[in-house]
Amino acid sequence: MLVLSRQRDESIMIGDSIVVTIVDIRGDKVRLGINAPAEIPVHRQEVYEAIQRENLRASQLQPGDTQNIGAFAGRSSTPRPGDAPRR
Amino acid sequence: MRINTSRFGRIDVATGDVIRFPSGLPGLEDCREWALLADATNDALGWLQSTTRGDVAVAVVSPRRFVPDYQVRIPRSELTPLDIADIRQAQVVVVVGTTGTDLTLNLKAPIVINLEARTGRQVVASGELPLRYELTSTRPPLKKSA
Repeated sequence: MLVLSRQRDESIMIGDSIVVTIVDIRGDKVRLGINAPAEIPVHRQEVYEAIQRENLRASQLQPGDTQNIGAFAGRSSTPRPGDAPRR
Repeated sequence: MRINTSRFGRIDVATGDVIRFPSGLPGLEDCREWALLADATNDALGWLQSTTRGDVAVAVVSPRRFVPDYQVRIPRSELTPLDIADIRQAQVVVVVGTTGTDLTLNLKAPIVINLEARTGRQVVASGELPLRYELTSTRPPLKKSA
């Protein structure tokens, strides 16, 4: 891991398109501002990792596992997830 | 295009129906192109099937059908990559998971689809929302997010 020291309002560049700025430092909490291209998602690490794990678990589901999901559904007033969009 | 899927056998998907996820899904970052299929028996259920990996698919539902008071608050920065100004232009679905005994819904990280542009992205919604909202016969109402 590259470790750099920065003070408030100073920045770090990652690659040629990502800038991380120290917006505020208060006690043991640092506020970071991130400028990144729209296609690069930016997340708190623990949140992203939790979503990764959840997606991988969810991707194990087979149609047989979901067959009784209908019991929990209310009445339909919106398009079904698989409906083709109206063009 | 023809895809050999592990769950649904060989299926045909029109090129124009493919949805592009520029960042894939967390955990499935390499899967950038998906098809949204209706479940054969359940009209409340859809399957987001990877068009590049036949064994990869996730079950998805429209969240309000199962959680009527679900209100998703998505930071604008999460919507901009999809070219969506307003969440109402998008279709929002959530991924179905399991605890082993109960099915669950990922209300914390919904999938937002721009139907017109055929692009999609899994976003992180604001507020205290469960990654695994359990679908059980008795449960307390969803807490309103802060």
